[in-house]
Amino acid sequence: MSVGHHVRVDRRSGSHRAAILALALAFGLVLASGLALHASSARAQAPGSAPDAQAIERGRQVLYATGGCTCHTNYPGEGEAAPALAGGRGLETPFGVFYSTNLTPDRETGLGGWSQADFVRAMREGLSPDGQHYFPVFPYTAFSGLEDGDLRDLWAYLRSLPAVKRENRPPDAPFPFSWRATLAGWKWLNFTPLVFEPAPDRSEAWLRGRYLVNAAAHCGECHTPRTLTGGLDRSRWLAGSRDGPEGELAPNITPDAATGIGEWDAADLVWYLEMGLKPDGDDTQGLMSEVIEHGYANLPRADLEAIAEYLATVPAIGNRVRAAD
Amino acid sequence: MTRPSDRSVLRRPIRRALPLALAIAMGLAGAAAVQADHHEGAVALKAAEQIAYRQSVMSIIGTHMGAIGDLMKHGLAVPGAIETHAKLMAESAALIAPAFRPRVTEGATDAKPEIWTDWTKFQTEIAEYEEAANALASAAASGDPAKIGPAMKALGGSCGGCHKPFRKPKEESYKNK
Repeated sequence: MSVGHHVRVDRRSGSHRAAILALALAFGLVLASGLALHASSARAQAPGSAPDAQAIERGRQVLYATGGCTCHTNYPGEGEAAPALAGGRGLETPFGVFYSTNLTPDRETGLGGWSQADFVRAMREGLSPDGQHYFPVFPYTAFSGLEDGDLRDLWAYLRSLPAVKRENRPPDAPFPFSWRATLAGWKWLNFTPLVFEPAPDRSEAWLRGRYLVNAAAHCGECHTPRTLTGGLDRSRWLAGSRDGPEGELAPNITPDAATGIGEWDAADLVWYLEMGLKPDGDDTQGLMSEVIEHGYANLPRADLEAIAEYLATVPAIGNRVRAAD
Repeated sequence: MTRPSDRSVLRRPIRRALPLALAIAMGLAGAAAVQADHHEGAVALKAAEQIAYRQSVMSIIGTHMGAIGDLMKHGLAVPGAIETHAKLMAESAALIAPAFRPRVTEGATDAKPEIWTDWTKFQTEIAEYEEAANALASAAASGDPAKIGPAMKALGGSCGGCHKPFRKPKEESYKNK
């Protein structure tokens, strides 16, 4: 598998049993780490105490690294006046339209009633506090690779937001894609928590870039083509997708010279993520322009350089992304 | 003949003249319409050339943008260059509206019909682009990197002022069909 030396992501193959065992182990590990997190958070936060300002500020940086969680702000429907992270944005997918959820601390309609452990479980396992599966339009597949500290800080940041009362909307999707029970099967087929293999020969920047690209910034969720079941086609990691979010076309961002961004050097990519401008001077469209503006452009320069260093090393895949007819 | 009949005699030519005048008027209008058709026909015949010209204008602007990017992202020291590029971009703003004035929407183009249905907004966005380019020129003249970066970002954003409402997205672009 092409990303094997970067990210360990097992697919169903001949050795189903091993895969299932690995999955069970991974889930067990996640559960254990979740419990550990819960325990440590209980120590860190006395009841009623507000998260500290430093954690909130670090959490803001994590938010930037995700691209500003921009899918949870309804810019297309409400413009710049859209309440931040209050959800309600329709995300068009090949399986129907799914609406992002309210991440603000409103008790009734947002995350006000959640514990930190609830949040960690949602991000790592794609499960709601009452054990329902989230639709994979929510990229827990990538977020499962986020570090404990980053999850804690992001949670602190979300809790610092002004509470906005806004009901979540059910998806406009046909059966069975609107049916959460189907998602257990989807997860079995397509979800393995993201674990990073040790790479002792790589630089700190490369490791940081690998973490940002695959976990926080979740580039693959849009830029990797999907299989018939809507899972990521890991043999074509980051090679571009015609079925990007909101019906958009997501370009090939592997270093392939002809169809990817192989002609871009590190400075081009850093400039792009800071300014939203391509080497030829053109600007950026669609959701990408939003995740740059509300996310990546606010990251420290070193993080953008790390992303560039890592992206230059992913396998180059020739794939010219064309619009669907 | 009695007076009333005289009157009717007098009126008769007028009655005849009325349809004639109407016919002439219609004929003139028709001729004008034919001429208009002919005029539009002439534009339609050169639609591909008009599109190519518009794209040349856009590409001139984009190339300046790319050149400023080259200077900034690699930290190249070319005295006065950013300011000059920015000034040329501001001046190029005057090329945009005339280039798009003839309504050509068919062909190898990503121009959306909204340009012509919302011409006023189109012009407003062009004016904002011009202002942002002048602002970058001033920032570059000051030589203060803390001013140049944000001014460049704002200028980049002003591209989207037109591109978002008036240019087809990638998935609808003729380039990706």
